[in-house]
Amino acid sequence: MSFLQSIKNKVRSRSIHVSYVDVGACNGCEIEVRACLAPRYDIEQYGIYVHNNPREADVLIVVGAYTHGWEEKLAPLWEKIPDPKAAIAVGNCPISGCCFNRRGSYIDPPVSRHIPIAAEVPGCPPRPTEILNAILSVRDSVFANWEAEHR
Amino acid sequence: MKRTVDVNIPLGPIHPCFKEPARVKCETKGERVIAAEVELGYMKKGIERIMKGRPWQEVMFLAERVCGICSVIHNMVYIEAMEQISDIRVPPRAAYLRVVANELDRMQSHLLANFSYCYTIEHETLGMYLLDCREQVMDLLERLTGARVTCAYIIPGGVRCDIHKEDLTFMLEALTRTEHELLRYTGMFETGPMIALRSRGVGVLTPEAAQQAHAVGPTARASGIAIDRRTEHPTYRILGFTPVVRHDCDNYARIMVRFDEVFQSIRLIRSALNGLPSGIIRGGGTCKAGEVRYSGEAPRGELTYIIRTDEYGRVAEIEIQTPSIMNIEACCHSMIIGADSIADVTSAFISADPCIACTER
Repeated sequence: MSFLQSIKNKVRSRSIHVSYVDVGACNGCEIEVRACLAPRYDIEQYGIYVHNNPREADVLIVVGAYTHGWEEKLAPLWEKIPDPKAAIAVGNCPISGCCFNRRGSYIDPPVSRHIPIAAEVPGCPPRPTEILNAILSVRDSVFANWEAEHR
Repeated sequence: MKRTVDVNIPLGPIHPCFKEPARVKCETKGERVIAAEVELGYMKKGIERIMKGRPWQEVMFLAERVCGICSVIHNMVYIEAMEQISDIRVPPRAAYLRVVANELDRMQSHLLANFSYCYTIEHETLGMYLLDCREQVMDLLERLTGARVTCAYIIPGGVRCDIHKEDLTFMLEALTRTEHELLRYTGMFETGPMIALRSRGVGVLTPEAAQQAHAVGPTARASGIAIDRRTEHPTYRILGFTPVVRHDCDNYARIMVRFDEVFQSIRLIRSALNGLPSGIIRGGGTCKAGEVRYSGEAPRGELTYIIRTDEYGRVAEIEIQTPSIMNIEACCHSMIIGADSIADVTSAFISADPCIACTER
């Protein structure tokens, strides 16, 4: 590993910017992502900042079952995020559609068919600690040594 | 009509202040907003369509997932509508426990709404205090029902599980602690000069405009209209309930109404737990055919279910009317118009506590 790469690894491990997008959830997972901000879970002590701005994000948290309204919007949003990047599907909805995946509904799950998903957190909704754990696991598996592996 | 517009500014659908995707299109002249339009359609899942023709047991879980923030009230209104159709009587202990679960849910929803507002006006410290308070309320909700969100606590003829004696004393102690902390935070909000600059006189919704837009819930009550469906609920009548009303009509009043309602909820829970009748928690019964229109008070306002069932207890027709759509209309027709800057648009929009997932379903 080059010296530059080791500096990048060290810096990146303490600075992850998160953006979240709701593509048709019931709000349950959405507020659990928000609850990660609470002093009890304190997402910022790990160097994770929730800015909700895709252009400066490293991690995109996808919540919801991919409604038709997002068909031409989610992929361009994913393109806007600079490399290295990772998407995390939070909740059952982006994985399988959960209870909304029935005949007659206006959804098109799973989200992994539309953008590449790095980690999935099942649950309806998952607890904030599980979401936090997923973000931290992505940090080690995707962002570490990224340049060495992709360039 | 001819109008001079400087810039059209779209806010959203991904915006740092919005919990959910919605687009607010503002027409501005200089910094002043002269017209606003809210564009929805990012969250339409068609829940009512998949509810039709399904047995009531399945619809119960789908009804909860209309909105994740106020899931208990969706559960409660749907189940009480089914009980009205089928003439099922609820044991008094279960009726009281329903009120406790519902008020805990209202507390966490209001605290989340106030956190969002504080976050929007960039007062992050107070926002974090409130979010910490909300976690304590979520603990109590989990202790009572077994889950933080979408707990499916209320079932026809009663509730799912009883409250233990040690849980009861723990809950009363925790409520006292939460009330004590919240009193301090409310005082901070009430007297903070910077908060007043961003809140007082911003996003004014006059009582006439509120009536015209059919505003409901805390948005209407902050404009001096005393509407609350809880006044017609039998259990709330026993506990003694009067709606909280303020007459300031601005952002400040809307947030203060929510704070007052949290204290009111604490009082209601306390009197329900202290006077908790003994006995069974599940009476039993069969869901029958019928048709009913039933309303309850969600944290954001009046929530109505119109249900028709067949003889096997399947839901043949269902319509849900959620409160947020009226408040969003009131917001873009009155509150946002005339805002001095774009920063006031987001704060006025968030102060009405719009729930897009409810609205679009």
